[in-house]
Formats: sequence, C-alpha cells, structure tokens
Amino acid sequence: MIKLDHVTKRYGTKTAVVDLSLDIAAGELFAFLGPNGAGKTTTIKMLCGLLFPTSGTVSVGGHDMRTDGDRARQLLSYVPDLPYLYEKLTGREFLHFIADMYGLPPAIGRERVANVIELFNLKEFVDDLTERYSHGMRQRTVFASALVHQPKVLIVDEPTVGLDPKSVRQLKDLLRQQASQGTTVFLSSHSLDVVEELADRIAIVDRGRLVSCGSLGALREQAAVDGSLEEVFLRLTEQAASEGIPMMNGQAPADGITNARPGSSGTITLGPGTGRQMQ
Amino acid sequence: MSAASRPVSQPALFRRLRWRLLVNTINTMLDTSPIRPLSILFCSIVVWLFIFFVSLEGFRFLQHDVRLPLGGEIVGTLFDVLFMLLGVLLIFSSGLVLYASLFGSAETAFLLSRPARADRVFAFKFQGALAFSSWAFLLLGAPLLIAYGLVRSAPLEFYLFLPLFFLGFVLLPGCLGGLACLLIVNFLPKRRKQVLILGCVAVVLLLGVWGVEILRASRPDSWGAESVNLLLDRFAFTRSRITPTHWVARGLRAAGRGETDKALYNLGLVWSNGLVLYLVTSFVAAKLYRRGYNRLATGGDLRRKFGGLWMDRALNAALPFVRPGTRLLIVKDFRTFRREPQQWAQILIFSILLTLYFTNIRRLFPGQIDWVHQNGLSILNVSTISLLLCTYTGRFVYPMLSLEGRKFWILGLLPLKREQLLWGKFAFSTTMVLGIAGSLVILSDLMLGMHASVILMHLLAVTIIAMGLSGLSVGLGAWMPNFRETDPSKIAVGFGGTLNLVAGLLFLVTILILMVLPWHAFTGIAASSLLFRGRDPTAAELLTPTNIGVIVGGIFAGLIVGAIAVFVPLRMGTRALQRMEF
Repeated sequence: MIKLDHVTKRYGTKTAVVDLSLDIAAGELFAFLGPNGAGKTTTIKMLCGLLFPTSGTVSVGGHDMRTDGDRARQLLSYVPDLPYLYEKLTGREFLHFIADMYGLPPAIGRERVANVIELFNLKEFVDDLTERYSHGMRQRTVFASALVHQPKVLIVDEPTVGLDPKSVRQLKDLLRQQASQGTTVFLSSHSLDVVEELADRIAIVDRGRLVSCGSLGALREQAAVDGSLEEVFLRLTEQAASEGIPMMNGQAPADGITNARPGSSGTITLGPGTGRQMQ
Repeated sequence: MSAASRPVSQPALFRRLRWRLLVNTINTMLDTSPIRPLSILFCSIVVWLFIFFVSLEGFRFLQHDVRLPLGGEIVGTLFDVLFMLLGVLLIFSSGLVLYASLFGSAETAFLLSRPARADRVFAFKFQGALAFSSWAFLLLGAPLLIAYGLVRSAPLEFYLFLPLFFLGFVLLPGCLGGLACLLIVNFLPKRRKQVLILGCVAVVLLLGVWGVEILRASRPDSWGAESVNLLLDRFAFTRSRITPTHWVARGLRAAGRGETDKALYNLGLVWSNGLVLYLVTSFVAAKLYRRGYNRLATGGDLRRKFGGLWMDRALNAALPFVRPGTRLLIVKDFRTFRREPQQWAQILIFSILLTLYFTNIRRLFPGQIDWVHQNGLSILNVSTISLLLCTYTGRFVYPMLSLEGRKFWILGLLPLKREQLLWGKFAFSTTMVLGIAGSLVILSDLMLGMHASVILMHLLAVTIIAMGLSGLSVGLGAWMPNFRETDPSKIAVGFGGTLNLVAGLLFLVTILILMVLPWHAFTGIAASSLLFRGRDPTAAELLTPTNIGVIVGGIFAGLIVGAIAVFVPLRMGTRALQRMEF
C-alpha cells in the first residue's frame, strides 16, 4: 500500500533521508521511530506529497505521489503533530468540509460525520467553534476528520502528545482497530510503549538512514537485547552511531519480516511467526 | 477513490468554506464585542466621507477656480498616473501577501496534504490575497472617483461602471504578482529575497528618474501651453494604448462623458485581459505550485546558525538609561528587525534614493536658488520624509506586537509591567525612525541652504512626527492585535493597519500644517510679492510679530497634538494588553 523506493531527500547541502526503501502492506500497523532530526517528519511529508524526493519514488496505493498525487492523497489521511483546524469553523462544519473534500455524497457524508461524532464522543462540543477547543478536543476532532472518509492509509505523527491516559488508551484501540479493518497505519512516535504494544513492524531511522526494520522480536535479536523496545531502540541507535549506519531495505515479504545487521548491507529474512501477528 | 466518493466541485467547496468562515467571524465579533465591528464600520464611513469631501472640494477647485476641464488631458493624465502607481503597488502587495499565504501558512500545508487540486488551493488563496491587498484601494478609490463623477455631472452609468472597472483592474496586477511569486519560488528559491529587493530597487529607481524628469520639465518660470505640454510628455508612457491602467482611466473618463460604447470597449479590454492572465496564472499554479512548495521547503539547509552581533551589543550599551528589562526587549526587536532584510532593505533603498535626490537637488538650479523654489522644495522634502516615516511605521512597527503571536505568553509572563512592553517598542521605533528622518531633514535643508532656525523647526516637527507615528503604531497595534496572522504584510493591510495608516496620515498632515506650514506660507507669500518687485525680502519683512505669534502658536499646538498621539494610543494599547489573557 505504501512504497518508498530508494528515496533520498536533500535540504540544500544537508541530506535528511538517505536511500530509504520501505514496502508496507495493507492492514499493517507500521511504526517509524528515530531520534530528533532523524528524518521522520521529512519522510512523512513525502508520503503526503507535501515534499518530493530528491531521488527515488514514493507511491501510495500504486499511485506515484509526484505524478498522480491527487489520487494518492484521496486514499490517505494525515494527522500531523501540530494539526490544523479552521478556528472559525465548528467541529461539525470542519468534518463536513473534509467529507466534501473527499467527495462523499451528501447523505453518506452526513452519516459518516454522525458516526465519527459518536465514535470520538464529540457531541458535547462539536457545534462550538474550534478556537475554543482544548488540546484533547482538538486531537479528537482531528482524528474524527481523518477517519470520516475511511482512508486506506492513515499516517499519524506523534498522536499521543498531550493526551490523558484514557485518551491514549482509546487512541491505541482505535489504531489497532483501523489496522484490523485493513487500513494501513503509519505511526511515527516517541512513545515507545505505544509502539511496542501496537506495531506489527518497526522501522528505526537515524540521521536519515534506516537502521533497522522488522518485528519487535527481530529488532531484539539484532540488538542482542531481550528487553523493552526502549532498550532495543537505544542499543540500535548507539550501535549505528558508533559503527556507521549501513544502507538497508525495509521491504515486507509475504512470508516474513526483513531485517539487517549493522555493518552489513544485506537483509535477513525471518520466518513467519517471528514477528507480531497482524490482527 | 473509494466507492462512495464522487467527483467533487472544489471551487464550490472553497466558496462554501470562505462564506462559512466569514459568517462565523462576523457572528463571533458581534457576540463577543459588538463595539469593535461597529467602530470598524464607523471609522470606515468616516474615512470614506473624509476622502469623498476632500476629493469633491478638490475637483470643484480644479473645475471652478483653476478652470481645468475635468474631461481634459491633464485630469486624464492624473488618472493614468494614479492607476499606474496603484497597479505597481498592487503587483507588489498581492505578490507578497500571496507568497505568505501559499508558502508560509499552516492552512496551505493542511490543504496540500489533502486531495485538493493545486490550482484550486491557489485560486482560494489568490482570492483572499487579492481582497487583502486591494480592499483599501477600493475603500479609498471609490470616494475619489464618485466625487469626480459628481463634479463632472457624470451620467448614472458612470457609477455602475465604477465597481466593474475596479474589480477588473485589481485582477491584472494580482495575477502579475501571483505569477511573479510562483516563478521566483520555483526558479530562484534561494534568491527570492534578493529578487524582491532588486525589483523594489528597479521600481524605485525608475520612479526616481521619472521624478527628476518631471522636476526638470516643471522648471520653466512661466506656465504656458508649451511648458504644460512638456510636462505632460513626461507622462506619455502612462497613456500607452497597451497599458491596462490606461484602459481603466480611459474607460472611466468615457463613462463620465456618457460614452457607453467606449466605456464598454475599455471594460472589455480590462476584463478579457485580466481573465486570460488569470487562466495563465492558474495554469502555471497547477503545474508549479506543489513543485514550488517543495523547492522552498528544501531549498536551504536544515539549520542556519545565527548569533549575536556587535550591533546588538552596541545598542545594549547605548541604552544604559533604559530599564534592563525594557532594554532587553528593544535589543530583541532590533535583532528580529535586522534578520529580516526585506524590512531594512526597503528603508535603506528609500533613504538612499532620498539622499541622492537631496544631494543632487541643487543641480536643478544652475544659479542661486530663488526663494520660491527654496521654500517650496524644503517643505516638500519634509513632507516626503514624513510620508516615508508613516509608511515605515505602518508597515513594520504596527505589526510588531501582533507578530509576537501565540508566543505572547512568554512576554506576558516576564517580570515586567505590560506597559513596559509597549514603551520598549515605542522607544525602539522612535529611535530608528528619528535617526533616519533627522539625518535626511538636515541633509535636505543644508543642501537647500536653509537658515539654522528653520532646520531646527523642521527637526522639531520631524521628531514630533516620529514620536507620534511610533505612538500610534505601537498603541493601535496593541489595541487591535491580530495574533493569528503570521504575515506582517497582511497585518499591515488589514483593517487595523489601514486605520493606523489613515490616522498616521491625518496626524502628520496636522503636524505639518501646525508646525511647518505657517513659516513657509508667511515667508513664501512675502517673498513672492517682494520678488515681483525685483528684490529679495529682508528678515523683518518676512517675519512680522503677528506671523511669529502664529508660528510659535502652531509649534505649541503641534507639541500638544504630538503628546496626544503618543499617550492616547499607548494608553489604549496598555489597557488592552492588561486585559489580555494568555
């Protein structure tokens, strides 16, 4: 559903993303991790068509983002870390605007809007102007708008920042539910506990390069650590920093999960069942 | 596209969005503070009526006292020049507003990550930018032309044609500004500021050369038909048949004469060319907008190092008498200012041009400069410098407080009284503009050989103007802040900015009338009458006790008006700031 093929992105003389290849299947919950400045947001912006790769291609649902971007964007929803809402629209008006933007027929649009209002429990404030919303209310409204057209791909950047524990729990359930319904979820987060709990595959990037990509088990094996994702993440990024980062591919084969070791340019294919099962 | 989706009419979608945003904004204003929209409406009406009556009297004066035919070449040329200057201004303002809207706003990032077509997003923002950059023109231009129609006894269709010509007219410079913006961002993303500065320099240089040509042409001692024709020749390029601004001026004059067919022809020219240019712009936007967005976002390095500069330290050291907290704010504002080359470059360009003009002014007069020209040019120069200050404070000082934006809580939490924030900005603005204006005034008067007492009087007037304009801009900026807007040009051309500009203009005209005009008027009148008798006037003949009384009285009145212009807006701003919640 999402394919990045040898993508490199440069900002002037600095390279933000280096030869990144990823292949993410439909219904997969894919987590994208990395330290600050690793190239995560740049990658996400390329997935949405806000930025174009300097070289390589990005496609969503088989549509090349550069040549057929409008069709590709029709399939996806993007929830940025600092989401935008029209301050002078009510939540309901904003949701209808999004439904119209994605071309939902009026009757279906009304039904979907009513559904997401129910799902995200927006009823109390949905007819207030969004300028009066708290952070949590804004996040819920943004997620509601992201799901109103039932996207094939959901791209989420730091969704848990500023949310209370209950909202985080609901969000986790929602993301898992979306993936189980066939939506590809691309999750970028620093909340490693959320990623650990949810992700089918995890990619770790550092200084624009893919350090590792695979299930949590595969990452543990690569890091030679049998601990939490936090320990694995720290070990892998430290290794990458000290040993130099190899070029890696994050393709998702039908029969397993790919991974690579620092210092090698090849890939290891792990057998089925090694990683977390997709629901 | 999912099975449930249908082809969506994006223009209709954006129209509905704009309408809903407008309705909700008005409703919110009426619900939360009805006084503000009412005061906006009231002020607009006052400004509108003021311009209308001034224009009405002006046209009546031209027709009845000067006996200038309003349908003649001279008024036609004035219209041509007016529309051409407005056209150039609109190209720059719409281009700048569009640049900020298309490439610097969170809204466009949101829209571009959705399946919104690039040309539709462009059209949506283009309409907004055009409305922003031209609404003041519509507000200020309409009363002038209605007054022209009334004095000219124009038929009814003249008034019907007015809005059609206005709307058609703003389309052309708006498209040119939009095209320039898209092309510069796409092909010179790293050099966009330099291109903008070069464009400004080119326009200002052309205007400077043109101004000198006009001055030279207007030098003859007698105003005969030959000299008028010579002067009109300097404006010939504004009357070119291929100049869109000439179509507007010609069409409106034809409508004023009741020649509907000619008016329609010119209206057709304006609209057809405007719409074709819009189609071209829209096509370019469809091809280049997303590309430009990407180029701009990735054209430079990820990080650029900034640091302190000797100028910051020098400014800090030069203000030991200011409280440390306020001094920090002044240095912060200065640092922000010097890191925005488009801000100081414009001031620098205009200042250099004026310096060149002042230093070359004597070349226009091969022999001894006569009293009449000396007198007239010196007051003209002071007025020009004051206008420059008014533009500067309106464009750069007024938005300063709004630009603190959502980070305003940082200032709000500082261990400073909130009024100190405003006084800091006031001190910064006054120091900057007074430094520029004072130097220019001294240079101009020295080149014209003015007496030391006149130089002092001009300096005093410019000091009051600098303080008053700074007080107005800082005070009104705090009274009507727009924390949601990040583009200073949008803040400057919004309602508050326009109100500030009009208030500033009224203020500087008042100060010039009170503090500068009396001396120039008395000496000018006396000098002219004596020159006709073949000799230069003596000091006693120039300044009678009555005249001195009026001049001194005017200066005192000017000081009072200046104090009001500083303290009242700053008081209003302080109160608004103290009520503000973060």
